[in-house]
Amino acid sequence: MRSAGLEAAARTAGARIVGALAVRFRDLDIAEDAFADACVKAARAWPAAGEPRDPAAWLWRAALTSALDAARRRAVRARLRPDAPEAETDAERRLASDEAIIPDDRLRLIFICCHPAVAAEARAALTLRLVCGLSTAEIAWAFLVPEATMAQRLVRAKRKIAEAGVPFETPAPEAWPERLDAVLSTLEIAYAKAHEDAAGAGAHAGYAREMLDLTGLLASLLPGHAEVQALAALVCYAEARRPARLDEHGAMTPLSEQDPCLWRRDLIAAGDRYLARGEALGPAGPLALQARLHGLWCARCSLAEPPPWPEVLALYDALLEQREDRVVRLNRAVALAEVEGLAAALAELEALEGKAMARFAPYHAVRADFMRRAGRASEAREAYRATLALDPAAAERLWLERRLAEVHG
Amino acid sequence: MQYALLIYEDEAIYGPEKDSPAMRDIVARHMAFGAELGEARKGGSGLRSTAAATTVRTAAGAKSLHDGPFAETKEQLGGFYLIDVPDLDAAIAVARRLPLAGDGAVEIRPLLGG
Repeated sequence: MRSAGLEAAARTAGARIVGALAVRFRDLDIAEDAFADACVKAARAWPAAGEPRDPAAWLWRAALTSALDAARRRAVRARLRPDAPEAETDAERRLASDEAIIPDDRLRLIFICCHPAVAAEARAALTLRLVCGLSTAEIAWAFLVPEATMAQRLVRAKRKIAEAGVPFETPAPEAWPERLDAVLSTLEIAYAKAHEDAAGAGAHAGYAREMLDLTGLLASLLPGHAEVQALAALVCYAEARRPARLDEHGAMTPLSEQDPCLWRRDLIAAGDRYLARGEALGPAGPLALQARLHGLWCARCSLAEPPPWPEVLALYDALLEQREDRVVRLNRAVALAEVEGLAAALAELEALEGKAMARFAPYHAVRADFMRRAGRASEAREAYRATLALDPAAAERLWLERRLAEVHG
Repeated sequence: MQYALLIYEDEAIYGPEKDSPAMRDIVARHMAFGAELGEARKGGSGLRSTAAATTVRTAAGAKSLHDGPFAETKEQLGGFYLIDVPDLDAAIAVARRLPLAGDGAVEIRPLLGG
């Protein structure tokens, strides 16, 4: 059983330790196993001897020792000398703080996990595992796959990295645009998964918080990249609204009906800062436009203020020029209904029909809402039932069932 | 690390003639590219078209011989390079610059023990 102190130290120093070991030993398995081993040793030693003065430095030394042992064992097997440094001397240890002792290779670790040569589905999982320290079971839960499937996916991704010779260096300048794109799309997908669950209970809530840390970390490591700042802003804004996403019965509350008084002002302020920093760096990319959309909503101070639908619509128009995708089109239709009326929005929705929408729950939910408002009761009921048949999360289900019960005629 | 870069192209673009203008052009580009690679190039060659291919297939222990490539696909293995570069990113950079006559693909495969 891990103590609270160990849990906190592992959480704050884990990525740093795993990153530093991975880069030194050029091996993700050694890094991961050595850190796990250090945590096991700490769980045994700390309760008896008392928590060390610098828990992170303790974990780093234990993990480094364990990694050196593993590398030696491997070297003996391979009859090669390990290409890794010795642990530092006691004198150095006493002088330096953990920040100075543990090298910061987290950015490299993120780039390794998000390498475009790794299967897209595995990148987010690997990043959550190695950089955020989530367990395989937690990631499997978040991605709705059996734990064994996720474990296999992670093993395969790590094997690909080792066998294909994915570099343990930050990419060369000419590779940056593509590599950073892979990192951003990976984190965007990972966060979308964490955000999906309005209830934010159990493993999901922790994972959303990790995404807040991770995107903030990336923004601090890459202060000169506009889209990186935008992603951090987006996650801050979206997480700021988490306290208002459920009503007292546990049903989801749509964004336009959420009480802004419940939103976290500290996170909104942080989002504003990231957004401003990103916008100062260059023209808005797709993430910056999405962050602006979130920022628009978060600027609302009370339910009495009219929702910013016209600005929202304009931003979706701009986003659509950069990213043609069904989610954007659908969200644009929602804004269109508010600005130009239901007829225009329904026409837009009809244009989307058939494009693999049958199994896309948000499509049916939007359609149901439009039909309900247009007074087309039987079509509304049918669309609500189609949404419910796609097995939405509990909070969404409650809300949809309530709306379905309200359809008369 | 050593990598094989396997070049897949639709061989129809080169036409039936062994020295079509398209073929002469791509050979010249590969010669220039090989020179540019220098020491990093450890080997490789273009391959004659699949019309010249013969396949020995083993199924349930029995060997059979037939005319043609191992799989009938639109894009065929048309040549390969063997390169020695520091890592996958370097191999990707080489693969990106590799000359192709039109659409196609370059598969990057690390050598066993390479």
